[in-house]
Amino acid sequence: MKVGKRIPWILVLLFSFPVLAVGYGHARETEVSDVSRKCLQCHGKQGIVKTFLNEETVEAYVNPEKIRTSVHNFLTCSECHSGFSEGKHPSGKYKSKFQFRLRSSSICRRCHSADRIKAKPVHATLLKKEKMGESPICTNCHDAHSVSAASGGKVFSNEKQYCQKCHQHELSMNFSDGEKMSLKVDPAILESSAHSKLRCSDCHYGYSSEEHPEKNFRSRRDYVIASSESCRRCHFDNYTKTLDSVHYDLLKQGNLKAPVCNDCHGSHQISHITHGVKGGLITTQRCKKCHPMIYEMYAKSVHGNALINEQNQDVPICIDCHTAHDIQNPMTLAYHEKIPQMCGNCHANPAVVGKYGLSTDVVKTYLSDFHGVTLGFYKKQREELYKPARPIAVCNDCHGTHNIVSTVSAGPTSVKKNLVRRCQKCHKDATEEFPNAWLFHYKPSFSKFPMIFVVNSIYRIFIPIMWAGFVLQILLHIWRYAVNR
Amino acid sequence: MNRESRRKGGKIRRFSTFRIVEHWGIILTTMILFATGLCQRFWHLELSQWFILKLGGIDNVRLIHRYTGILFSLELLMNTSVGMMGVIRGKWQPSIFISKKDYEDAIHNIKYYFGFENHPAKCDRYDYMEKFEYWTILIGGILMIMTGVILWFPTLVTRILPGEFIPAAKALHSNEAMLIFLLNAVWHIYNAIFSPEVFPLDTSIFTGYISRERMIREHPLELARMEGVTPEELEKDNPGKIRDLKVEAAAR
Repeated sequence: MKVGKRIPWILVLLFSFPVLAVGYGHARETEVSDVSRKCLQCHGKQGIVKTFLNEETVEAYVNPEKIRTSVHNFLTCSECHSGFSEGKHPSGKYKSKFQFRLRSSSICRRCHSADRIKAKPVHATLLKKEKMGESPICTNCHDAHSVSAASGGKVFSNEKQYCQKCHQHELSMNFSDGEKMSLKVDPAILESSAHSKLRCSDCHYGYSSEEHPEKNFRSRRDYVIASSESCRRCHFDNYTKTLDSVHYDLLKQGNLKAPVCNDCHGSHQISHITHGVKGGLITTQRCKKCHPMIYEMYAKSVHGNALINEQNQDVPICIDCHTAHDIQNPMTLAYHEKIPQMCGNCHANPAVVGKYGLSTDVVKTYLSDFHGVTLGFYKKQREELYKPARPIAVCNDCHGTHNIVSTVSAGPTSVKKNLVRRCQKCHKDATEEFPNAWLFHYKPSFSKFPMIFVVNSIYRIFIPIMWAGFVLQILLHIWRYAVNR
Repeated sequence: MNRESRRKGGKIRRFSTFRIVEHWGIILTTMILFATGLCQRFWHLELSQWFILKLGGIDNVRLIHRYTGILFSLELLMNTSVGMMGVIRGKWQPSIFISKKDYEDAIHNIKYYFGFENHPAKCDRYDYMEKFEYWTILIGGILMIMTGVILWFPTLVTRILPGEFIPAAKALHSNEAMLIFLLNAVWHIYNAIFSPEVFPLDTSIFTGYISRERMIREHPLELARMEGVTPEELEKDNPGKIRDLKVEAAAR
């Protein structure tokens, strides 16, 4: 065929393409039927409002574009809104918006029978609820006029959007004990959380657009505890630490009140770690949830007061002593033995306590004294000889634990009173004078504890002189002996 | 005891069996006290911690230290009471008491060491160095016992004395221990083992006997008294035994 003869064919094909393309498009997005177009003459304009008996209202506006692109675009309005036709427009009376929606859902079920929809796991759950008298509202998830298949028919840009489709509504979950839990997830909270980049199924594993297994829990608490297991998939280090904690011990013993990950960190609203005073305040508030009495004591203590009222970030918060995840039982000897070291973290560190005029010798003076040395050996004996040890007086025995007060503000008489009481726990017949045997963390000097200072000074002079005398005598003796020979 | 019975194979009896046993007792108790005490004073050393754990822990170490302290106190009590009884009943000379002669002997010996005297000081049963050692250990031992009791019963003590006495007693106890330890470790060990006069060991406290040569050299006054001669006669009978520098120098 010559080129000249081909041109008319090419032109025909070229010009017919848009026509064919439009035709194809029309095949997918069918024009609404004439009957429907008539309905849209009124309902396609905004401003029509339907009022229910309880004064609730719903807009009767229908976006023609959405109807055209919906999966129901081949239906006429009256196929769903039965009873309405060109000539009939009955005024339906509904008690409330909810009743109206419930009624509308029953229309869907005319075509989408239970048998047809139960294959989808999420539907299976809803159908089960329906049997128990709680009818699901289809339009909550699928919308009304812009109805689209929750998957397949419409492609969601991400999984979160897909889940949100349903979970932005007031869904709820029932537990065997009759308790209910809302399954509504506020997208704004999710976006502001530390996990905003995660997909829903990263935590809710087993759930996807394909699967939505039905899970039964005895109680809401059981569900919370089971959910915390998903944290370990990413936070394995902290998860394993919690297995050694006193909280997990309680859980193992069957105490379901023992806190799990989400009790402290929350679930969808998990936030980034906050440092400084703000972080300290948040953390102490979390512990307060279960330990309110201890919090009250702490809040009044020199440490708590400085944190809460002075916004001081040098003071310890709960987790500085108790740690965050591998929290040990503070009543054990192992914990008791660690206390001087814990206090020493700050009180032996000039960078922390130096600016408050506090001595950094307090830990050293304790550890080198009778009790400190004994404590050190008891710890070693326990670890190496498996010997049971007695609790030796440590920092908190004299200074208090959560209710620590400044020794300066408490005054010497109050401190001494505490001391006598503590001394008498082990030294039954200790008198008021007995605590004075302790040097109160001071190093002996001429003004403080002169007797000890003098004794030490005398020997510091006398021992070297005697030593030098001996050595000199020995050397002279050897020298004389050598000369004599 | 007559003169002959105090000799055996040319050796002279210096210490009785009682003193030999007593010395063994002191060796044993002080060794235990030093071991269990020094490891408490230097508790931070690796060796101390190893030792304490080997003894079954700090409580055991304290218990051993305290009960050995009781033994040591009994030994001290026995030594002083037996000594005093002996002196009071006229059995022994009060030879251990420090006299003016000891100061003179000390100065004499220093002069001798520097070559200003031609013989060392002529001493009696105990020379000034032995006396110094004895009294340091005796007075030190009494101090140790007193402070040890204070540390053992702090609650009882604070019923009578101010609380500061407890840490003061601790300071005194550990400092005095160091002093006695140095005295023993340096001075006594040198004199009894490393001194060229006795090396490898001064056996007199273990066997009870001392050679006549050493008696002439170290305790000439006692020997002269034992043999019923004057020190001058003893020196004349044993020429050169008491070292005479000038004589030796002339001979060379």
